[in-house]
Amino acid sequence: MSEMIELKLNEQPSKKRQYLLLGGIILAMLLWSLTAITFSAPDDGGAKIAGNIIKGILSPDMQLLWNFTSQGVFYLLFETICIAFLGTIFGAILSIPFAFLMAPSVVPKPVYLITRFLVVVIRTIPSLVYGLMFVRVSGPGPFAGVLTMSLTSIGMVSKLYVDVIEDIDRGILEAMDAMGCTTFEKIRFGIIPQLIANFSSITIYRFDMNLRDATILGLVGAGGIGSPLIFAMNSYRWHQVGSILIGLVVLILIVEAISNKLRAKLVNG
Amino acid sequence: MRKRTLTLPNGKVVTEQRSKVPLICAILLVFIIVAMRVTHFSFRTLATNGHQFFVILGAMFPPHLDFLNRVWQPLFDTIKMSFLGSLLGALVAVPLAVLSATNIVKSKLLSGFFKLVLSIMRTLPTIVMALIATFIFGLGTMAGTLAIFIFTVSYVGKLTYEQIESLDMGTFEALESLGLTRLQAFRYGIVPQILPTYLSTSLFSFEGNLRYAAILGYVGAGGLGIILNEQLGWRDYGNVGMILTVLIVTVGLIELISQTARQKLQ
Amino acid sequence: MIKFENVSKIYPNGHVGLKNVDLQIEQGEFVAIIGLSGAGKSTLLRCVNKMHDISSGKLTVNGVNVTQLKGKEIRRFRSKIGMIFQSFNLITRTTVLGNVLVSLVPELSWWRRLLGVYPATAKIAGLKALDNVGILDKAYTRVDQLSGGQQQRVALARTLVGDPDIILADEPVAALDPVTAKIVMDDFQRINREMNISILLNIHHVDLAVAYADRIVGIRQGEIVFDGPTSAVTQEIIDEIYQGHGSSSIKGSLEPVAAEVVVDA
Repeated sequence: MSEMIELKLNEQPSKKRQYLLLGGIILAMLLWSLTAITFSAPDDGGAKIAGNIIKGILSPDMQLLWNFTSQGVFYLLFETICIAFLGTIFGAILSIPFAFLMAPSVVPKPVYLITRFLVVVIRTIPSLVYGLMFVRVSGPGPFAGVLTMSLTSIGMVSKLYVDVIEDIDRGILEAMDAMGCTTFEKIRFGIIPQLIANFSSITIYRFDMNLRDATILGLVGAGGIGSPLIFAMNSYRWHQVGSILIGLVVLILIVEAISNKLRAKLVNG
Repeated sequence: MRKRTLTLPNGKVVTEQRSKVPLICAILLVFIIVAMRVTHFSFRTLATNGHQFFVILGAMFPPHLDFLNRVWQPLFDTIKMSFLGSLLGALVAVPLAVLSATNIVKSKLLSGFFKLVLSIMRTLPTIVMALIATFIFGLGTMAGTLAIFIFTVSYVGKLTYEQIESLDMGTFEALESLGLTRLQAFRYGIVPQILPTYLSTSLFSFEGNLRYAAILGYVGAGGLGIILNEQLGWRDYGNVGMILTVLIVTVGLIELISQTARQKLQ
Repeated sequence: MIKFENVSKIYPNGHVGLKNVDLQIEQGEFVAIIGLSGAGKSTLLRCVNKMHDISSGKLTVNGVNVTQLKGKEIRRFRSKIGMIFQSFNLITRTTVLGNVLVSLVPELSWWRRLLGVYPATAKIAGLKALDNVGILDKAYTRVDQLSGGQQQRVALARTLVGDPDIILADEPVAALDPVTAKIVMDDFQRINREMNISILLNIHHVDLAVAYADRIVGIRQGEIVFDGPTSAVTQEIIDEIYQGHGSSSIKGSLEPVAAEVVVDA
């Protein structure tokens, strides 16, 4: 009897070697990565600047914060919302054909493989590159930002749309056939209602993300609150930095809360 | 909203619940028009100037192969930054996630505090973090690593505490009843349940970070972004094409590895 | 009246669905079709509204020669025949009323079809149908929040709103627990009696078939092996219909019989 137990004990696959190997690889990667860390901080400047930033956030530039002209925080935030909103809407619309072309249940294998590759490429190119390219199209300003967001949204949104498309319940199509419905009626009343709630939920989620990403666009002159933030930082106006950061954080928190509520309602009905 | 009623032939009255769809469509439409005004959106500009985009895109092909030698160093920097930031971030996320989970930490105040910390860390866009970090730690990979680290802590932390909170606590109680301490019960009851998801989330975060790290150089936080910024500034699109090709191949490879690993974890 | 005259159906892969079927069903009959899975019950049902084409023979429904129907005629013909499925086949994420009204879509004007706006008369017809199956209070609930029995009654209301002459039901209670199954069968019986709608129903549960139908049709390997009033059904006949397959479990009782009885208690 005990022999059998011993036999069973030895049967258990030993994963020790695998774990050691994996641990070794990670450790080696870690050591290699550590070489990237260089402290080139200005001798004492770092701590002082950190202190200044905190001071700036604690005593923000109230004039800038409560300024309702086109230079004020409110207008800049509103402009950022507009960029993110339009970018999300156009991005979501552009994602629909991409999503159908990526769905294995809709198109043959070569088509969806090619579309998937294309979307990976679109997704990997940094938004800044698109931003600079679009600035050449529309000139600097929020318009370029909208175009950039539209394009960068496609990557994630279409990928998530595909899952929804693959999840469609096809039973309804048979039922509608039995009712004497045309193909158009089947799509309009059978398929679209199934897609719309999840598509909307995904789109709202992406809007949430785009709002954060919209700050990047300021770097290349594509509008939004990013550029005044960078100007303020580069010229060491920490109180202005403080008021912009506060406005941004509050906006993002509010939008996140609303978006979570909306999405829960959409999905659960 | 006014409510309409429908009367059935047999006398029953039903209060109609009107669909909110037309209202939502109207609000969306108004906001689209407002947003188009604010952002100076114009289809005409797009139609007349849109080809400029493809002119630049065309100039990236073929990529300048001889520029490849200058790409390696920043590429490695980018990988190092995202690896280090993701690894350390994922590790630090664990205690924060545990302290944020209401079913482990009995004090609502304590868990609430840590949740708030994670939430605030997540709020600031990574690029802004990196920008601030360059002012404090100087230009270079340190600033980028820190920005990625903070993002990873908040992202992995949030998903992990949500995972812990959704767990069935029966196992935990059963182990405690066997005489294990809370810590031991956590080690044997909770860890095996969350480990696969946690590792998967961390890997996913690493994938995203790699993509994101490529632009951090733009604010001086090291990596590919620096040369990308430089070459774009000089309008040397052939070189830009080379950088992008290298980035796409690298991200593709790492995603492939990470996705296989994540599928194995499931 | 539904009339099968020497109807056969052979699938493209050579499988024989129906073989020389002769069957005549008068308006207002309640017919249960029993037999093993794959015996041809579904095929028989789906030929009636031309969801399947027959290979030979003649099939007439209310004087219409089904084989000769084309395109638009098929759709108009189908809208007078209701169909119920085992898996309900409702539109998820849509309200109960929205599901019921889909039945009326082919009759709407083009812009209503595009926008999905129904006239008040349609809504009243839909609510009436819901009242008929006893779920009027759920009219504005999303179907995914209903129980299986309620969902099947939504499907029933959906067919009723089209004012059909015939309802085809393909295993309508197979996904339901025994108690809910009886409630749904009660609905079928009431609709059959009060509205004089013919009901053709495929069913695994012989006991339910015997309890509710006026007439039983037994199918084995595409052929009709029994056709007669419920009162004439004996254990020998049931053994004959299910011959050679799990007959030992049938002997001595009229319990659920088929190879894949689904009873979710």
